[in-house]
Amino acid sequence: MFTMEIDITNIILIIAFIIIVIYLIYDSYARKPRKRVQVVRELLVCTSCKFTVEKDFEPGDFIGMIKGKCPSCGSNLKVKAIYAVEKK
Amino acid sequence: MFLLLITGLNQKIQLKIWILDIRMKLNTIQNILEEDKAKVRAILRNLGVNVPDAILGRVIDFFTIEPVDVEPTDIIKRMDHLLRTTETSVRGIIEGALPSIGRYERSLIESSLSIISALNIVYKVIRHYLITGERENNFILIMQLEYLMPQIMRIVQTYHEALESFTQGRPVGDGAGPLVVYNILEKSEVKSRKVIDDTSIIEAHYKGRRLILVKAEGPGSNVGHPGAVISKIIDELKGGVDLVITIDAALKLEGEETGSIAEGVGAAIGDPGPEKIAIERATSKYSIPLRAMIIKMDLKEAITTMRKEIYEACERTLSYIDKILEENTPPNATVIIAGIGNTMGIPG
Repeated sequence: MFTMEIDITNIILIIAFIIIVIYLIYDSYARKPRKRVQVVRELLVCTSCKFTVEKDFEPGDFIGMIKGKCPSCGSNLKVKAIYAVEKK
Repeated sequence: MFLLLITGLNQKIQLKIWILDIRMKLNTIQNILEEDKAKVRAILRNLGVNVPDAILGRVIDFFTIEPVDVEPTDIIKRMDHLLRTTETSVRGIIEGALPSIGRYERSLIESSLSIISALNIVYKVIRHYLITGERENNFILIMQLEYLMPQIMRIVQTYHEALESFTQGRPVGDGAGPLVVYNILEKSEVKSRKVIDDTSIIEAHYKGRRLILVKAEGPGSNVGHPGAVISKIIDELKGGVDLVITIDAALKLEGEETGSIAEGVGAAIGDPGPEKIAIERATSKYSIPLRAMIIKMDLKEAITTMRKEIYEACERTLSYIDKILEENTPPNATVIIAGIGNTMGIPG
């Protein structure tokens, strides 16, 4: 039969071991980057009055594409940028 | 414990744990690959291909053998020849299966297939080393694989996410260079336009200078041949160019901010060699100053939908270009500005 001598050194070693394990588990979770959910938006700018509006991207759209009319002056709205932003 | 150590059983247990972990990750890669293949199959079917697997099978396993490098004479010429042959061959396979497809759709299919091809290679190589390591009980090989797997999984996930951008034609981070050139184009007085070698050449007047803007022809997924085109322009003008500026996306170091801008000297272009050397040779032949601007991002940001920070950096780059033009060229100077990268979603 194995007998374990419980002395102060063993107790310190066991406590140190538990602390290290807890730290390693915490560290591995903390290091994991959180998954970012992104949405793709497009920036539309009026060709005459510079009115701007941001909308959701639609497949097939590209920068420079004329997309709709300006609500304030009736001129063409042009896609100035397409970009991904983090979902709030 | 002593028994485990002298029999080497601890190492065997460790080896089995690693093999199990690698196999689980390999299964994840396989699932991602199958999911992406199904996505592209559906797109091909929508475009009228009855047997999409025939194209998938041919393009996915398509390979290019590197040119002989123990004899480096004319290696650039040989490499350029092989790269162009690869490009035309893959394009030929797609056009053969989809004869009535437009250039824009064809370019998106080409890029989507190359993403699947990359994922397929990663899957097959990992599987090869796993089977070899397991068969030979190669502790070192399996250990290396185990420690590389997190990095490999990140790359696989990046390619998987990139597929969505490429199938929908969204601008990607790598399009920063073409976007800057497009923005300059929007503010300039355009004199002429032509397309050579899938690359747009636009002559324009901007801030009292004659600009020759070079970028891949958009808005399809295309990188063009900016090096060869710049070399041709310089030769046609018999060296009558005051400055060449290349703008490209560059991989940032960990800790650096996405969208940070840096300027320097040299050809900012990340091709295997032929395009970069063409720019260096042409500019050094006529002693034309060669300036570079880079917009920093990581691999994921470079091949997935352009992030807002990168778009904003492209806007800021314009003021850097203005400063370089004012400081380095007199009025009426001729300047070549090349936007290097994939022009998907960016016209011109």
